[in-house]
Amino acid sequence: MANNFEPQIVGFLCNWCTYVAADLAGVARLQYPPNVRVIRMMCSGAVSPLYIISALKKGADGVFIGGCHIGDCHYQRGNHSTLKRVAIVKPLLEALGIDSRRLRLEWISASEGPQFSKVLAEFVDQIKELGPNPLKGT
Amino acid sequence: MEDEIRRHCKGLLSEKKIDVIWGLREKDGFVAPYLFQNPEELDSLVVSSKYPLSFTCRPSKETILSILQKKKPGLKIGVIARGCDERALIELAKSEQINLDLIEIIGFACDREQAQECVCFKPFPQNLKFGTKVEGIAEEKAFQDLMATELKGRLKFWHDQLSKCIKCYGCRNACPMCFCKDCRMEQSVYTETGWLPPEFPLFQFVRFYHMADRCIECGECEKACPMDIPLRKITKYLRSKMKEIFGYQAGLDPKQKSPILTTLDEDPLKEFQDEI
Repeated sequence: MANNFEPQIVGFLCNWCTYVAADLAGVARLQYPPNVRVIRMMCSGAVSPLYIISALKKGADGVFIGGCHIGDCHYQRGNHSTLKRVAIVKPLLEALGIDSRRLRLEWISASEGPQFSKVLAEFVDQIKELGPNPLKGT
Repeated sequence: MEDEIRRHCKGLLSEKKIDVIWGLREKDGFVAPYLFQNPEELDSLVVSSKYPLSFTCRPSKETILSILQKKKPGLKIGVIARGCDERALIELAKSEQINLDLIEIIGFACDREQAQECVCFKPFPQNLKFGTKVEGIAEEKAFQDLMATELKGRLKFWHDQLSKCIKCYGCRNACPMCFCKDCRMEQSVYTETGWLPPEFPLFQFVRFYHMADRCIECGECEKACPMDIPLRKITKYLRSKMKEIFGYQAGLDPKQKSPILTTLDEDPLKEFQDEI
């Protein structure tokens, strides 16, 4: 079971940085695991904590949020609120009994295609190690 | 202490230092919140820490104090307040629901027994006028045992507890900080309407997250819950995390803005950035 477990990951990617990086990784033909379902957001700050918990509830094994580096946000401070939000959502998930490593926030700028494929491969390995999401089907 | 407070309030009202006093009144054996306007009425004033907060925002989605301040601008209101009442006032003022400059807080301290019953971390107001301070109960005690268990156990615990929920909205209605006119917990996008129990853990997750930077630990949500869900295990935990991560505690300093609301800091959470 554990060996052929293929996690499903929902990726919320910021339109201006991480989505472009994902595009770049594709254009450069970099390999990364096909487990991520990408949802393009206008800003990582638009990812409500409710999207995160809804994704987990509806069967995602992990949630990935990608945004611009601090200071590079297209909307000046959008990613500041992402960071603060994730800082609170992580302990809340822990307190409810969901491993907070299932949620990952990463700053990947538009030119960091290799970084994107590297981080996602890491994240998929991590989720494979954690196993299927216990919240699924509860 | 009750007589002292009555005398003090009578003085304030008759000297016209303040216009009205918001407190509890006993009539025909029942105690209810009341707006005292004449000094003579103050004989029926009751000072007790066992009654719930009188600043809940439902069903009008505003506290009585903000309604008063809107209708009578400039009205000076005296409020008889415990530690939790005062924290609620401070936090409401921060969210611009009330104007704290026009409110005179007449604070009194709760006794040790009451503090233990409420698991209160600060059973006295900052504007303490009557009574003596007693030490509060450390917040960690409430969630220590839960956080010591494994993730699996915690998930099962919350699944069992939150499945008891009958979606009565008691926790929200009793909360002094839940003043949103448009409540997420009522929107069918987030919670399936006409269905019990609410989807675990979406329904409560909304409230827990929204309360993370606002919860003043009055404990009214848990007291109001007819199914005895230990909600404060999480609110207290999040409060301690807010203190640890942001150095912020709701309800203590009227000048301190919530870190979740502001993005004015140049480099937020420097130490935390490596952890994520």
